[in-house]
Amino acid sequence: MAMTAVARETVFALRRQIAKIEGTLPERLAAPAAAPFDADVNTDLTIVRRGIAAALPDAFLPIGVGRLDAALSGGLPKAALSEIHGLETRDAGAVAGFALSLTSLILKQTPGLPVLWIGTSEIFREAGFPYARGLHASFGIEPEQLLFSEAPRLVDALWVAEEAARMTALAAVILEIRGNPQRLDLTATRRLHARAQAAGRPVFLLRQAAGPEPTAAPVRLIVASAPAVPRDTIAGPLAGSIGRPAFTLTIGKSRTALPGQFTLEWNPDERAFNERAGEARDRAKNPVPVVSLSGGGKNPAPASGAVLAFPAVGSPISPAARDQPSRPQRTAHLGPRRAG
Amino acid sequence: MISHRDRNAQRISALDERAEALHLKRDMGIADARAMHPSIDVVEADPEADRRLLEGLADWCDRYTPLVALDGADGLFLDVTGCTHLFGGERAMLDDILSRFFHQGFDVRAGLAATPGAAWAAARFCGDRIVVSGEEEALLAPLPLAALRIEPSTRTSLESVGLRTAGAVMAAPRAPLARRFGALLLLRLDQALGRLDEAVSPRLPVAPLSVERHLAEPVTLTEDIERLVGMLAATLKTDLERRGEGARTLALLLFRVDGAVSRIALGTSRPMREPMLIQKLFHERLAALEQDIDAGYGFDLVRLSVLASATFDMQQADLAGEVTDDGADIALFADRIRARLGDGAVLRPVAVESHLPERAVATIPFTDAPCRTTPPKKPDRLQAPKTIFPPERPIRLFRSPEPIDVPATEMPEGPPLNFRWRRALYRVKRAEGPERIAAEWWREAPSDEEASTRDYFRIEDADGRRYWLYRQGLYGGASQVPPRWFLHGVFA
Repeated sequence: MAMTAVARETVFALRRQIAKIEGTLPERLAAPAAAPFDADVNTDLTIVRRGIAAALPDAFLPIGVGRLDAALSGGLPKAALSEIHGLETRDAGAVAGFALSLTSLILKQTPGLPVLWIGTSEIFREAGFPYARGLHASFGIEPEQLLFSEAPRLVDALWVAEEAARMTALAAVILEIRGNPQRLDLTATRRLHARAQAAGRPVFLLRQAAGPEPTAAPVRLIVASAPAVPRDTIAGPLAGSIGRPAFTLTIGKSRTALPGQFTLEWNPDERAFNERAGEARDRAKNPVPVVSLSGGGKNPAPASGAVLAFPAVGSPISPAARDQPSRPQRTAHLGPRRAG
Repeated sequence: MISHRDRNAQRISALDERAEALHLKRDMGIADARAMHPSIDVVEADPEADRRLLEGLADWCDRYTPLVALDGADGLFLDVTGCTHLFGGERAMLDDILSRFFHQGFDVRAGLAATPGAAWAAARFCGDRIVVSGEEEALLAPLPLAALRIEPSTRTSLESVGLRTAGAVMAAPRAPLARRFGALLLLRLDQALGRLDEAVSPRLPVAPLSVERHLAEPVTLTEDIERLVGMLAATLKTDLERRGEGARTLALLLFRVDGAVSRIALGTSRPMREPMLIQKLFHERLAALEQDIDAGYGFDLVRLSVLASATFDMQQADLAGEVTDDGADIALFADRIRARLGDGAVLRPVAVESHLPERAVATIPFTDAPCRTTPPKKPDRLQAPKTIFPPERPIRLFRSPEPIDVPATEMPEGPPLNFRWRRALYRVKRAEGPERIAAEWWREAPSDEEASTRDYFRIEDADGRRYWLYRQGLYGGASQVPPRWFLHGVFA
């Protein structure tokens, strides 16, 4: 236990250093209970606020679930590339659904702007073409607002996405790609991210059946379907029925957030997310700690073992272990970058 | 020597000078020719290839006039009315045409006259002659009857009565000629003499506006072509402004030195006249076509034509000089994507009144219909049939429903207990349905009506994924075809 505590201190110090460099707000970092944190902040930490993310007050898109927003330090960055992963192609419905709910949230703020959905022919064939009637019913996106672009090759899809990402006339750009193609590397995502930042519009990179790899996106979320609750009727829940869409959300990567898992439910009528109460309670009661916690169940999120770059031994199911790039990938990323 | 098959015999259809020197003639049998000269080289005729070559030449002749028409299998009509001064007069133009064709390796005969008939006769029987208006009669009179463009049968019957030249026919009384040889003879005669108008119907639609630039030094680089497009578009802009129009379809014609013509057309979503934007669009198009366009020895004529135009609605800029129109951005973006990736690259869904899910939405290529920048007002018509619980529709629909394997259902008409899709077994936890969607009898043949009745189910599997399945056909129907199951879409 003593070693973990030391490691935790080191990690925290390092993260504060990173926060200082990046200009994120220090109070969003969860401090270990024992650290003399507040005194430090006021005296010697000068936060240089750089980049749009820290500069604008509405730089974040609040998802509307308190715990998740807090974890993501205010929500998803609005002017950025965000990765939304599905572990298998059959999760395409959930991944697309989650991205569309985010789009729907954006459209609440910027009504009427069109949304562009770019995909390769492969993904539209494998996972189905977006169906405008369903999108209208579930996410309130009018068919007139939708634009689709189907590119036969990944290069073309990336080109369309880059062109679209710099447009302010689009509410959001969704780029859907299957697998881990070599062309979608750090450089390509960095270009997308830079354009999204310049235009101030989000680009959602949906990656079906893809493993995590280093990209320029500040946030990576892993989405899977969650069983829906039964429909609510006046006479109580209707047995055997399938209610509102639900997603299991795992934060795979974030500069500020601690890894965590959330079950969200999309309310198509109000176009808003709710966290499923039962799940949250269960989780609070029976959290999935990466390292054993000494504290009570009041605030289980800062299980800081998960921020370590290497997975804790003996917990193969931890979400953090799955989302960190594996060793060869990481070395490839740290090595000299490929051109193009 | 080129042969063709005519009534089961190979006959000579064309021959070169060396063969002519051997006293071989057209329409002579190949067997006879071989008997005379066993060493002749015979090639089978390929009318298709000849046709393609002629069309290629017609394309190239576009540089002189937009009105180019094919004439039979071996001739071209060029309506050069109003074009000759661009090339320094009629004689200079004719010389230019002849010399360019000669350098390309063609043996061309040309005639220039005020009527197509006279020009035809001049080209074929006099060679390289310019007939001044009014001299048609003098030109035609000594020529044989073939110069009148008449049927061979008419010609032989005219010859049989002693009329051997066009002049003889002209001198003969008209009424008996018409009675005996048909109206066509006199029609051709009148057309040749300019008494009746004859229109040359061009192969390609004539562009309402086009600008071109002749280059002393051929260009080969794509960047140069793009710059030229920008310059031409700037010229085009003033013309378009004068008409109050913007271009909807543009074509760029690149005339290569050796006679090949590349035609690059692109459409715009809304009327456009800004040279910068036009240049940008052609930049994308040229980038996409980089492999297909072979500059060869370079292009010596670049022409930009407006094939279709539409009224350009002006927009008032605000005091800062900025026009706030998001739709224009989208339209331009879509144009650029389409210029590079083809017309189907940007699609727009349109709701269609249909019960069948795959027909209820049509995706069409993005067109000029401007994107609504304000939330659309719902008409009352749409509000009326809205039910309290609209049927649930998936967010993704497969292009063609994917067949799934359903081993068993709980009830014959009920949802499956499990199913196999793409070789994986899915266990059904919960199901909603059925929602029965019948075939559209007004579209489909009534015979397979029963088979195409579908019962849709919403399914949730053990992992919480939601699918849209349907059973096609009914159990125990008259057709005795067992129902089949399909997976049609996925829910969020």
